[in-house]
Amino acid sequence: MASVSIRNVRKSYGPVEIIKGVSIDIQDGEFVILVGPSGCGKSTLLRMIAGLEEISGGTVAIDDRVVNDVPPKDRDIAMVFQNYALYPHMTIADNMSFALRLKNTAKSEIAAKVERAAGILGLGPLLGRFPRQLSGGQRQRVAMGRAIVRDPKVFLFDEPLSNLDAKLRVQMRTEIKEMHQRLKTTTVYVTHDQIEAMTMADKIVVMHDGIIEQIGAPLDLYDNPANMFVAGFIGSPAMNFIPGSIGGDGFTTEDGSRLPLGGRVPAASDGRPAVYGVRPEHFRLADEGLAAEVVVVEPTGSETQMVLRPLGVKAGREDRKRELTWVLRERTGARPGEVVRIAPDPALAHLFNPDTGLRL
Amino acid sequence: MSRPLRKLLDKAGMAVCVLLLVSPALLFFLWMLSLSLKFEIDNGAYPPILIPDRFAWKNYTTIFEGNSFLLYFWNSLIVTGAATLFALLVGVPAGYGIARMRAHKSAVVIMIARMTPGLSFLIPLFLLFQWLGLLGTLWPQIIIHLVVTVPIVIWIMIGYFETTPMELEEAAMVDGATRWQIFAKVALPIAKPGIVVAFILSVIFSWNNFVFGIVLASRETRTLPVAVYNMLSFEQVSWGPLAAAALVVTLPVLILTVAAQRQIVAGLTAGAVKGG
Amino acid sequence: MSILASSDRVAGAASVGRTKRLRPSYWPFVVPALVVVVGVIVFPWVFTLWMSAMEWRVGEEQRFVGLQNYVRLATDLRFLEALGHTLVYTALSVVAPLVLGTAAALAFNTKLPARGLLRGIFVMPMMATPVAIALVWTMMFHPQLGVLNYLLSQIGIGPLQWVYHPSTVILSLVLVETWQWTPLVMLIVLGGLASLPTEPYESAQIDGATAWQRFRYLTLPMIKPFLMVAVIIRSIDALKSFDILYTITQGGPGTASETINLYLYSVAFTYYDIGYGSAIAVVFFVLIILLSLVLLHLRQRSAWNSGDGK
Ligand SMILES: Nc1ncnc2c1ncn2[C@@H]1O[C@H](COP(=O)(O)OP(=O)(O)OP(=O)(O)O)[C@@H](O)[C@H]1O
Ligand SMILES: [Mg+2]
Repeated sequence: MASVSIRNVRKSYGPVEIIKGVSIDIQDGEFVILVGPSGCGKSTLLRMIAGLEEISGGTVAIDDRVVNDVPPKDRDIAMVFQNYALYPHMTIADNMSFALRLKNTAKSEIAAKVERAAGILGLGPLLGRFPRQLSGGQRQRVAMGRAIVRDPKVFLFDEPLSNLDAKLRVQMRTEIKEMHQRLKTTTVYVTHDQIEAMTMADKIVVMHDGIIEQIGAPLDLYDNPANMFVAGFIGSPAMNFIPGSIGGDGFTTEDGSRLPLGGRVPAASDGRPAVYGVRPEHFRLADEGLAAEVVVVEPTGSETQMVLRPLGVKAGREDRKRELTWVLRERTGARPGEVVRIAPDPALAHLFNPDTGLRL
Repeated sequence: MSRPLRKLLDKAGMAVCVLLLVSPALLFFLWMLSLSLKFEIDNGAYPPILIPDRFAWKNYTTIFEGNSFLLYFWNSLIVTGAATLFALLVGVPAGYGIARMRAHKSAVVIMIARMTPGLSFLIPLFLLFQWLGLLGTLWPQIIIHLVVTVPIVIWIMIGYFETTPMELEEAAMVDGATRWQIFAKVALPIAKPGIVVAFILSVIFSWNNFVFGIVLASRETRTLPVAVYNMLSFEQVSWGPLAAAALVVTLPVLILTVAAQRQIVAGLTAGAVKGG
Repeated sequence: MSILASSDRVAGAASVGRTKRLRPSYWPFVVPALVVVVGVIVFPWVFTLWMSAMEWRVGEEQRFVGLQNYVRLATDLRFLEALGHTLVYTALSVVAPLVLGTAAALAFNTKLPARGLLRGIFVMPMMATPVAIALVWTMMFHPQLGVLNYLLSQIGIGPLQWVYHPSTVILSLVLVETWQWTPLVMLIVLGGLASLPTEPYESAQIDGATAWQRFRYLTLPMIKPFLMVAVIIRSIDALKSFDILYTITQGGPGTASETINLYLYSVAFTYYDIGYGSAIAVVFFVLIILLSLVLLHLRQRSAWNSGDGK
């Protein structure tokens, strides 16, 4: 087990900078998840921790030892790849024991470790098979088993669940989480699925275009997003953003409707343009609220999701992003075309600077 | 009634088509077999006889009696075997290195080597071997056959290693393997089918090679193609034994071709389509 | 502030410079082959070039003569004749296998029973030992006893002199070369056919295109890059052709079928005129490279055109 500290790390391919100075501190035993949209550099960062990519600037330290120049084999890390990267010519047992055999570990010790890992993951009956004879979920487990057997300082996962179907993904999510609670190995886990991030992480790192937007505990990011990007990225369905300006003790939308701020008006900000952010689940029906026409109703059973078009916003492509999403727990008889009046819960709403995206 | 008839006609048409396609090859080799099994009188008969009344098995026994044919067979085996094994030894790692370094440009050398006529390698190497005093041994032929075998092996292995996933080797790196262990324990086992293809093609092209032998081989160091050619020019052998000898020379290759046609086709077209 | 930043950058750059490679270097894998390739491939090229500037006969003094060997080549009628033979032989040995090989590929691209075995038999001519098959062809070409003239007489043609007459010798040799190498063209084109999409054919069928139209307007343009590859490979191999020619005719009768490669052989290993032979080798090599470059250029264009749609 170990701590990992990433200091101002940069990565360029030729003139293009992919990672633009990233710093993360990972405590011993922590489960850290890197999330962000596709292409933001998550895999690249993970591979730099693994030693599979050279580091263009800054330092990566494992247990306070700078490992920039240490090849992967000497970093004492284990990695689970997106496509599992199981050795096709080795049995499951051989796959799992490969690293140990390279280190000339005693046979009896190898056997014990493989057995233990197989026990944790329920792979016992499969040990003699070859990877091609396994299902996707089983392969995924073998890939994790290969990492567990190593008993490394750090686990690295690169989108390990993205090749599984939805149901299996949920199940494996739980298993990985359980495994971590049991082994307490420091883990860095890459995903672009924010639900995975929310449910598994001790700490989430939100990345975007090679920089870190915010680091924090899952619910902390949800409740206190540092900026519009994080606010929009974390949470599903995404947060509603309503442009307008701050005035008096409330917020005036561009159409002139008033939204409450609950007395949290930032100082000396009268008339200042801002973006009002409110999560879909934080609206409620209110007689004095925003009038909007129901466009779509999507019941999922446990909840109902609605797309609303505020009155005054024209139907059409360019106004699509001014439509609002509302999620309510109870069932509703509302039909498309009806007009409802909704109001946000001011205590849970956020204000953002429209230029910088930062939360006010 | 008309439907089954039509199906029958379709089948017949297909059969004719197939026969037409393979008949040039099939008839040729049948005729070769026929020539090799006929006595001189039958071979000189007009109209020609395909299946004689009596088979001249002695055509085969004579070639092994008089002409040191076994020695030449042995020479061929040594030259082809050594040139192929050595080519695999240096060519497989080289294909791996080139594929991993993405040094595709270096493959141009291989392509130009493929374009160069064998004779232009012969002149300088002949002088070199003469100077080194190697003529009269099998070494000159083994070495010059590398001109054929090494490019084949490198070419095929580059293509093969390029298609094996890098992720596996990265997994091995993280698992603590050195580059040699990665090569030996991960890359090589996965590339086994490619090695088989390279081996087969290298063997065939080396075995068939003629031009290097006629210049470099002395009486004792002839390979089979040269030996057969010499039967034609120097010893007035009749057609029967000559055809028998020719068949013996090429039989190993023909058997290999039919047995491993899938690998051969894969190797030839991979090289060809990429080689353009 | 800015000083700090810039010194930071310098430190960063320096550490990049010092960074040793995390990934293993792959050079050690390549070095042995490199030695071999330099020894048996690159060294002969360079040495040949050097020898071509020498007056060098085996057993005699060597003398530097500059371009004299090349000047001699330009006026060597036997060389020019060989050049002509080579070009004719190559052109025919490209076209005939190309046409037949494409036809064979179309036939093989259907659901044949025992396709693998048939393909194995079909491929045999090009894998068989050339000297061995050349011997059998020699027997088949025999004007009196050969089976070819007998077959021709059955349909009322002949008898032909085949390789024993200057007017038919090259065509006869092309026949052997075609028989031998049609399979290679077939394999290449078959690979191309396997890569074709099926949708255009389905839509063409709906549009009512005949089989010929489908071939002419769909298949042919789509396999053009593969045909070009076949042309390139075939050209190189036909230019270099040696075993068959040497075994069957040795360039005869007279010099009626002598190609550059055969002439090169005579000069270097019959007359042992090493310097002059090297000059022929160099010119021959340049010829092959030039032709390959031209064909490669054409292929690039054909690929570009077919990528363009029409
Ligand atoms: N070898 C390379 N050369 C040049 N650019 C590269 C290279 N590898 C990655 N990139 C670029 O770096 C950026 C980040 O890639 P990376 O794989 O880290 O993204 P990611 O966040 O993992 O995305 P995804 O969720 O799709 O896996 C991308 O824009 C990619 O195009
Ligand atoms: Mg990725």
